[in-house]
Amino acid sequence: MVKPAHFPEVPVPADNPLTLDGVQLGRRLFYDPILSADSTQSCSSCHMPLGSFTDNKAVSTGIDGIAGRRSSMSLLNIAYATNGLFWDGRSLSLEDQALRPVEDLIEMHNTWANVVSKLKKHPVYPDLFRKAFGIPTTKEITKELAAKAIAQFERILISSGKSKFDRYLQGDPDVFDDDELDGKLMYFEEGASVGLPDAQCFHCHGGLTLTGNQYFNNGLDSAATLHDFKDRGRGEVSGNPSDNGKFRSPTLRNIALTAPYMHDGRFQSLEEVLDHYSSHGKNSPNKDPLLVQVGFPIPGSNPVQYTGLTPAQKNALVKFLHTLTDTEFVANPDIQNPF
Amino acid sequence: MKKVLLAALLAGMALWTGCDGTEPPKGATITITFKALYDGQPLEKYKNYDYDTYQVQFSRFNAFMADFALLDGNNAIKFGDIAWVDFTPDLAPSNMAVEVPVVFTNVPDGDYTGIRLGYGVPPALNAKQPKDFSAGHPLSRENEYWLGWGSYIFNKIEGQVDLDKNGSYDGSLIYHCGSNAVYRTYDFNVPLKIEPGANITVEFDLKKLFVLNGAWLDLTDTYNHITSNDANDVVIATQLMDNFGNATTVK
Repeated sequence: MVKPAHFPEVPVPADNPLTLDGVQLGRRLFYDPILSADSTQSCSSCHMPLGSFTDNKAVSTGIDGIAGRRSSMSLLNIAYATNGLFWDGRSLSLEDQALRPVEDLIEMHNTWANVVSKLKKHPVYPDLFRKAFGIPTTKEITKELAAKAIAQFERILISSGKSKFDRYLQGDPDVFDDDELDGKLMYFEEGASVGLPDAQCFHCHGGLTLTGNQYFNNGLDSAATLHDFKDRGRGEVSGNPSDNGKFRSPTLRNIALTAPYMHDGRFQSLEEVLDHYSSHGKNSPNKDPLLVQVGFPIPGSNPVQYTGLTPAQKNALVKFLHTLTDTEFVANPDIQNPF
Repeated sequence: MKKVLLAALLAGMALWTGCDGTEPPKGATITITFKALYDGQPLEKYKNYDYDTYQVQFSRFNAFMADFALLDGNNAIKFGDIAWVDFTPDLAPSNMAVEVPVVFTNVPDGDYTGIRLGYGVPPALNAKQPKDFSAGHPLSRENEYWLGWGSYIFNKIEGQVDLDKNGSYDGSLIYHCGSNAVYRTYDFNVPLKIEPGANITVEFDLKKLFVLNGAWLDLTDTYNHITSNDANDVVIATQLMDNFGNATTVK
């Protein structure tokens, strides 16, 4: 696996170290519709390279034509997601996550027993499993090994480090035009000295991977009480009403490639997203407090209110978000469909 | 018989020197348990707390602690570099602030006159970035690093303010302190007996933190509203970090 020098070490679990054979098996499984009941859908049906491993749909549709509830999340730099996966954090590891879509009634609507049976009889897979995991016979092919292989492939979905933003981070100060630089200053709360407001983006989309890997209520829906959210998100998993309406903050790397936006794909463009944040979102009991503070503080307001962003400031932020596009990553031949 | 004795001798040497030939561990394994309070009671997320003439709720409280040292008169014996203390993790089972145990090994046992605690990330470590640390290290946490400022966020306290106590929240409170200028250490003169299994409790009371020189921090004032390390905000960040010692109890 090649990671950019300025990226942190990739977390790899001790019981599933990356191997070339494991990654290659995982890549093949990821793109193979053998996992679905009718052999029409693979992981890649909802996670395509050109969409930075999303499907660019508001919500994904499974093999029976039934639409799911939520949008597929980008898998870019997913190896760094160590605080839960999916929008609601219901899986704690890539290995666990990889097990779920196969038996999801809306997604692949299959059984692992059926998948494993097909893998054992397959002309190619038994040898690939043997190479990847050293198993002596086809009897040892299990859903857990299949999930481990898929997880290994997903762990190599790392940025190339060659986006415009990365070139800036690596010391090229002239890579940004004026708007992009303004956008970057607002994004990272650095603009006060040059008269720019805080957009507060980095609190939830921070670090090199531009995701906090945390759960927030970002003001998408009004709710009079914690029990009034249409989609309870994290609260559906934790059972804690205070988590209702919270969702995992996705990476903003390649965000220009992953429209539509939010867990339900409600926003078609980055402009719509910024309009939402500039308006401070809709009210609910657990709305994240950072949403309120987008813009300049309004002197004399009590409690302190914030201006939001001007059209020019939003435009600058959109231009900055486009500097996060990593075309080398999406074109990387090592992560494309091997079939 | 000679073989048995030789094997026993070699086994003993292995225990003494360790597999890599280094000296065996010395001292005790101890635990510091960090707790978050408000007005003496365990902190609870999203609970209404009286604050001056209004009410507040807290939704997030986490901090880096560093430079752990035991005090023996004028001597300070360091036993730990850095720890991450998150009282409000996303995956917590309830709204009650979790207690955070941090285990230290090889702590010299004996009787001490107190303990020194560092609040934030010491300058030498703050000069580094998450990429400089292995996965799992406290300082590998990307979302606790200000990429733009080149500093770790030493602590985060977030919540909401209800000025008229009508149950509807009118504003937010965001206190994120960071930068070398606001790193602090405090000494706590509490007799401590360090022995294997010893447990030290460190409590932070947010009510005490926000009372500065006997007066409540005015959360409604524009420039008391958010902290960072820019020119406008370093004043309040400094005040809070200066007050963290007063908000801390060591038992």
